[in-house]
Amino acid sequence: MGIINDLWLGLQEFGQLLPILMMFIGVIIGIIVGVLPGLSPSIGVALMLPVTFGLDPISALVLLVSVYLASNYGGSITAIAINTPGTPGAVATTFDGYELTKQGKPLYALITSLTASTIGGLVGTIILILFSVPLAKLALSFESYEYFALGVFGLTIISSLAGKSPLKGFIASGIGLLFVTIGFDTQLPFSRFSMGIPDLADGIEFIPALIGLFALGEIFYSIEKGDNIKPEKTAKVDLSKTLSIKQLLKLKSVILKSSIIGTLVGCIPGAGGTIATFIAYDNAKSSSKHPEKFGKGSLEGVAAPEAANNGSVGGALVPLLTLGIPGSASTAVLIGALMIHKLNPGPELFDKEAGLVYGIFISLFFANIFMFFVGLMGNKLWIKIIAAPKSLLYPIILALSFIGSYFIQNSVFDVGVCIAFGILGWLLKRGDFPTAPVILGLILGKMIEENLRLSLIKGDWIDFFTRPGSLIIIILALVSLFMPYIKKKLMKKAKQNIG
Amino acid sequence: MKVKNYIAAIVFIFYLGLLGYLYLGIGQGKTYPAKPISIIVHSKPGSAIDYMARKVAEIARKYSDVAFVVENRSGTQGLVAMQHVLDMKADGYTLLGVTKSFLSTVMVNKSKVSLDDFLFIANMVSDPEALISNKDRNFKSLDDIIQDANKDETQVWIGPGTGSRDHLMALKSWETLGIDANWIDYKSGPQSILALLRDESAVYVGNPADIKGKSDLDIISIASAKRLISLPDVPTFNEQGYDMNESMWRGFAFKKGVPEEAVEYVTRVLQDVVNDDEWENYCNETYVFSNFENHEEFTRRIVQETEETNHYLNKAGLLALYVNEGPVNMIVVLLIIVFVVFLLILIFNKFKIKNFSYDQIIAGGIISISLFFYYQTILFQIPETVNITSPSLIPRIWIITLVLLSVILIVKSKSVSTEKENYSPKTVLIIIAFLLVYLVAMQWIGYFFTTPVFILAAMYLLKYRKIAFMTINAFGFVLFSYFIFNKLLHIDLPLGWWFI
Repeated sequence: MGIINDLWLGLQEFGQLLPILMMFIGVIIGIIVGVLPGLSPSIGVALMLPVTFGLDPISALVLLVSVYLASNYGGSITAIAINTPGTPGAVATTFDGYELTKQGKPLYALITSLTASTIGGLVGTIILILFSVPLAKLALSFESYEYFALGVFGLTIISSLAGKSPLKGFIASGIGLLFVTIGFDTQLPFSRFSMGIPDLADGIEFIPALIGLFALGEIFYSIEKGDNIKPEKTAKVDLSKTLSIKQLLKLKSVILKSSIIGTLVGCIPGAGGTIATFIAYDNAKSSSKHPEKFGKGSLEGVAAPEAANNGSVGGALVPLLTLGIPGSASTAVLIGALMIHKLNPGPELFDKEAGLVYGIFISLFFANIFMFFVGLMGNKLWIKIIAAPKSLLYPIILALSFIGSYFIQNSVFDVGVCIAFGILGWLLKRGDFPTAPVILGLILGKMIEENLRLSLIKGDWIDFFTRPGSLIIIILALVSLFMPYIKKKLMKKAKQNIG
Repeated sequence: MKVKNYIAAIVFIFYLGLLGYLYLGIGQGKTYPAKPISIIVHSKPGSAIDYMARKVAEIARKYSDVAFVVENRSGTQGLVAMQHVLDMKADGYTLLGVTKSFLSTVMVNKSKVSLDDFLFIANMVSDPEALISNKDRNFKSLDDIIQDANKDETQVWIGPGTGSRDHLMALKSWETLGIDANWIDYKSGPQSILALLRDESAVYVGNPADIKGKSDLDIISIASAKRLISLPDVPTFNEQGYDMNESMWRGFAFKKGVPEEAVEYVTRVLQDVVNDDEWENYCNETYVFSNFENHEEFTRRIVQETEETNHYLNKAGLLALYVNEGPVNMIVVLLIIVFVVFLLILIFNKFKIKNFSYDQIIAGGIISISLFFYYQTILFQIPETVNITSPSLIPRIWIITLVLLSVILIVKSKSVSTEKENYSPKTVLIIIAFLLVYLVAMQWIGYFFTTPVFILAAMYLLKYRKIAFMTINAFGFVLFSYFIFNKLLHIDLPLGWWFI
């Protein structure tokens, strides 16, 4: 029983004072990083990296991995509380999470998100331990054709995100897709559409745009409606109303399925947890008994992206540890950490450093559980913040968005980007345009373009349909695109039959 | 009743204390070095140059009275870091980590930043370029690659970037080896290595450290004068009869105009670092040569290599990709487009301005911006020397889709009023103005003065009037952000240009 032996080795490695202490610290810092808009998991991990230089390898990696894991959860808190995704992976959580807050039920969303995150993280860790070798093959089999198909699949999710008007949803995604072409061309070393502005040469920084669109856009919109001076609009938070275990149990299949989606997409290098959250949301909606509740405060709508997001953490470690290839921005920093501690990520790591690798796995397991309890305690604090008067809260959120955008590159220009996207988000909201598709466009645009053009250099259009991997994903995309319409038609027919 | 007033007073006193602590220490100290020296690095933590800078900082502790502190400022292939150093005073407290890739960065970007603005203090290492292949290919020598290239008309070489050092290495190698191959840009090192593991290409151009931990990969040859101590089995180009050297170097530079004593001091410390045993270990571990060059030698190298880089970039047709029309022309074009688009909508609305619906205005704006982007795609110049699909392909697909969808929206929303309630955007516009003022003021007088003013003003505007809570929140927020960012995460919030 090789694996049990390895786990035992790992437990010995992890079960010492310093690694356990680092796990505690990592989880708490991770949640703070996640909560603060602008501090994405990868930035959090990067910021902690210099701290780890003085530690032994296991403690260093446990600290970084715990920050990575917990920040993925932390992002959902602000997404739910103030419609500000603390991390890109929490965008999909705003759809139903913030809706629940507006209905005075933030605790429903917070507990669902915490539970889903924890289970997602645990499932991801278990899959990582048991199946990292076959999953590495999946990661390796993804070529530019499959990445392109995955990007297109992601875009089709708009038809289920768009709400009332699919037309407006597609226009909004087009804005994101067009804006993300600003910056360096994917094949040639020159900057497109930057009009000679040096700060635009690298394109629009994603996180300030995200903060602007969601946090600022929402604040501007509700100030215009005068929410700050209408006391009755302040969410009435009922603390006695918490979720029962029974209600949570109803979510078990959604959480489990989304965790697996998250892990699988997470292990594809470069695809990332954010895409996984959208796919899980879309999947939960199309398989739900109550798809009409999505976007209006569905608990499934909160659980799905959160489970997928934390599942992706385990997934992202698969290519890192088995192939030596970083699967996400955060794991790219982890590679640096491994190197600095004189460890070479790749297949040899499992043979030479089994104790360390399995020690990391075990720390992930415990970090998830610890995160759950910290999260439960934290919820009481978040509730208080949500209940604060809007006119007190909004200036603070604005100031926080400001530093959040500023310090990513210490760039004042990025703060300008944040404000500009805030205005864009506000203008779109006024006209009932959904803003989430803009973000989806920004996320997927690069992946689609890079891989389409790479594929066309290597081969031809026909290759997208002759390769089994890309063909399957393209079929899934078509199904996802037309599913809402087919469902509507079928429902109408069924109603007519009854009538 | 009065507890909140006490808290407010305490918060405010702490805030004043913080200001004193932050600002009273500025400008002290006469003899160099009086405070830590920052090393600005152009990439994220964990990269090769970041690791080198941190190693230098670590070893320098033995030889320097002040600490060296690494600061990462990534973006635009190093231009962000270069610009940052030029924005700082030339007082010898800001050192820039430089790499050979900067030579192409300034050329390709046609930036205002020039390498002439810098004083190159010392070169530290030389990291040989390497040709790497999958073991399944069974390449043992450069001649095997040549043989394969002659058999297979489209031998594929990959690596990150077009116009990057790796790409230029490929161009140089083809010239030296006398072969014709195809360069495919896989954007990043990891994606290139994945492609190599799948055996999608014959050769990957990278550095020896890329194969660490990857037993499926093999280095065919390195382009250096001698073999690496830690890779004694890997032959050089020269040994196989091909006279070619190509290495990535990494070193340090100051902004021009630094005091002579700073140059002397830092050069001395760096020299001591290079002579330390730990430095040798670092070089062997990361598969690089320790290669100290002083200011004169380093500068000579840069002049020489700038010429060579220019030659290869020109040959690849990468220096004339885009004609910049200048901002004034661009704005004129944009205005014309906006005018025409809204004129057309007006015609569609039968010349009645009140027929404009909100959706039509938004759609008109989107069409204008899309067409403005389309205009810019016409200006792209694509060299025939590189194998690529057009850079305008995808943007044009998005543009055409956006324009079509927006036109549909304009037609559909004809004279449909979407304004359900009569809200006034006045407060929002004032808030946006506040934000812009805050943004400009923060650069000049710093984060710690402007933030509480902004928060208080915004609260007042939003009709919040409880002074104690306003004080606690505004000044408490500054204290909180100082603690989190400066202390916990080690990010310095800006103190303002006026004070530094």
